[in-house]
Amino acid sequence: MTVDKNSAVIEYFLNCPVILENPLYFNFINAEDNTNQIVTQTTERYAERKYVDGSVLKTYTFTLIIHKSVADIPIVKVSGYPNENMLDISDVQAIIDWISTQDDAHTYPDFGTDCIIESMSTTTDTPSFDGIDDEPSPALAVYSITVEIKYLDISKQIWR
Amino acid sequence: MAVSPFNLADGQRAERKLLITVAEWTEGSTQVRELLGRRTEDSSIDYNPDIETTTDILGNNYTDMNRTQPQQDFDPYTILGGSKLGAKLNDIRRRNALSELNQFTVYIITAFVGTSGSYEAEKHVDCTITYNSIGGDSTVNMPISVYFSNKITLGTVDKLADDFTFTEAS
Repeated sequence: MTVDKNSAVIEYFLNCPVILENPLYFNFINAEDNTNQIVTQTTERYAERKYVDGSVLKTYTFTLIIHKSVADIPIVKVSGYPNENMLDISDVQAIIDWISTQDDAHTYPDFGTDCIIESMSTTTDTPSFDGIDDEPSPALAVYSITVEIKYLDISKQIWR
Repeated sequence: MAVSPFNLADGQRAERKLLITVAEWTEGSTQVRELLGRRTEDSSIDYNPDIETTTDILGNNYTDMNRTQPQQDFDPYTILGGSKLGAKLNDIRRRNALSELNQFTVYIITAFVGTSGSYEAEKHVDCTITYNSIGGDSTVNMPISVYFSNKITLGTVDKLADDFTFTEAS
């Protein structure tokens, strides 16, 4: 059974509480505070591993881009006055932690019966801070997380 | 017996998956089979030929192949959920029951010869499958070697699945 992996990933990530609560875009963004975007990435074919039974280990890669409004406020060492920018990156970190928890539980997107997902992980332990987008008002901090889903494509396996 | 042509177009290369090795053994009264090579990227049957060459006084060479001792290594042989042979070998390993390692029947199926429903195969009885090590880095690997007995019956198999029927050639 052939499954559209992009649709499967979107459907799956809508279960992530941090993403579910905010607008999610696909390969497009209307950048505002708390908007998220899934951007598909290419994975070179040379990275595939072909096995003697005809199955192939492949990687589906995408980047999740998260926009957070930035506060022009310095960090103060006063209890009860957390820094907004630091709170925002904690939200982004929560997505990474959610992905890790799902991987530990082997709870993965549904890629169909011809694919067996082996693992799902972020390429970094912490979000990447990609800069400030100062066109919108307020300006937005741009964070990104790259996710790799390794799966075994058994569609061309000879022994079924 | 006539030589069967390949079922490939002229110049077409045979995909590696068309050369198939299958292990068979019995558990109780049940016959169990498993394809070898899952998660193995490269594996070949090495015939380990014993070659003897003599040269006469005119400088002509005469070469004899006295015997073959076919062997096929599977490295990595990853411990996989659902692997029946992996579980069997691990059980033998735990008990150090080495004599149970030479009770396998192994089929070599050449799916590039024959037609759908009748692929050429050779059946070797009393083969030995050894585990060579166990360990690895992120996943558990237990490389194995298959030592073919050369007690060969030629025939065909009707399908490429564990429940195939082997029919001896007439």
